[in-house]
Amino acid sequence: MNRYDQLIVDLGNDYRPQREWGEGRGVLLVIGHFLVGVAGGTWLLSTVFGVSAGFFVAYVFGALGGLTHLMFLGHPEVAFKMMRNVRTSWVSRGFVGLSLFLLGGGLYLALLLLQLGDAWQALRLLAQGVAMLGALTVIGYMGFCYTASKAIPFWHSSLHPALYIAYAVRGGIAALLVIAAVTGTLANALLLQLWVAVSAIVTLFFIFEIQGAWTSANVAAKWSVRDVLAGRLALTFYGGTLAMGLIVPALLSSAAQTPLIMAAIGLASAAGDFFMKLTTVKAGVYLPLVMPSSRR
Amino acid sequence: MRLGMVIDLKRCMGCYGCQMACKAEHGTPPGVFFARVIKREEGQYPTARQIILPVLCNHCSDAPCVEVCPTGASHYAEHGVVDIDPELCVGCRSCMMACPYSNRYFNVDQRNYFGDEGPTAYEQARSSQHRESVVMKCNFCKDRRAEGKEPACVANCAAKARIFGDLEDPTSIVSQLIKDRAGFVLHPESGANPNVYYLAP
Repeated sequence: MNRYDQLIVDLGNDYRPQREWGEGRGVLLVIGHFLVGVAGGTWLLSTVFGVSAGFFVAYVFGALGGLTHLMFLGHPEVAFKMMRNVRTSWVSRGFVGLSLFLLGGGLYLALLLLQLGDAWQALRLLAQGVAMLGALTVIGYMGFCYTASKAIPFWHSSLHPALYIAYAVRGGIAALLVIAAVTGTLANALLLQLWVAVSAIVTLFFIFEIQGAWTSANVAAKWSVRDVLAGRLALTFYGGTLAMGLIVPALLSSAAQTPLIMAAIGLASAAGDFFMKLTTVKAGVYLPLVMPSSRR
Repeated sequence: MRLGMVIDLKRCMGCYGCQMACKAEHGTPPGVFFARVIKREEGQYPTARQIILPVLCNHCSDAPCVEVCPTGASHYAEHGVVDIDPELCVGCRSCMMACPYSNRYFNVDQRNYFGDEGPTAYEQARSSQHRESVVMKCNFCKDRRAEGKEPACVANCAAKARIFGDLEDPTSIVSQLIKDRAGFVLHPESGANPNVYYLAP
């Protein structure tokens, strides 16, 4: 069904799914959020674990994420105008954060590659600080963008930012597991333990969010939960988020820890994170203006 | 002055006159509705009833769309009217996700009303004036107000169900109606402080 016909059908229904973020060109936004989330998490954990290759991977993910964000916009040629409302808009804050990350990260990586002497130490520290500030902003802004969406009760939850932050960290761990395998080394054993712990937190947050939406008085939030668990998004949720993102890596983590298995855990985990974001974004249903009667 | 509207649901007969008048006034492309009439059936025979709810941008005093807009395209214009500057809009659509009344539309893939026949002269003159790939919504007929006229949906309401005026003036008809007939707003829990009130049927 084309976009116009779909809108006319949606307007006639009690529950109108949002289709701007997550369908058609809107998928680019979900991809963008996934990429910058992984970028921020990878930069953060590369700093913690001292993985130089991680900085490069994080930067590439960040740049690609920025590009997909731009491709999603109706008018990417004037994207710089998004700096104008940092005071109240999380989209604006995210734009500034990603810009800082790309500027600071680019400078830091350039200095790292050029291997300049101690005289450049101050500049390197400054670049690293700017990049870290950008990475932290990028990790945080996505969840708040959704929470600020008052029209979509399922997203309008205080848990959403925490969930997105946890997913960014999980994405970072996944990237480091893959990087270790590609460079032919066994990832730090602590990473796998961290993956288990963060996955447990993510699962808990997600259960709380679903439970909160289901037990809330809001009919649109309940409809979203229904869509995720037993409706139009059930396949993506059970197949992508649950099986691919949680069960497969959990089973693999109990097998022998070879670089290949570690990489497979990372890839499956990252794929699951993408499907989780796609599922929750597509599950957004607008607050109805006429409350549907109990008969329906 | 704070401009607002009162919609008397007792008078509204769901004729879609407001929707059509708005389309004619603004030449909005297919898929963009500044004013819309929602109709639903409720209950079961013999106690079934039809609910008719004309909706439009609520021009909220604490508009979530203005808050989330990254460029300032969504802004408070004079007299509390919430408007969009199409030249500033980058088409991120965050305002559509923030509006508790879902009264914003993204103007993309501009279609013609008569499909393969191409745009009519009317469409060329009217629809094409709207910038593509930006969000659009009602602005209480800014151009008509500048000429001292009422918004098109108000002027063309056959049942006189729509009343437009200053909500800050306690002597205005809108203020009196809200006071006398216990005017209510949609989704007051959103905290957006809308300026479109309804009178119960």
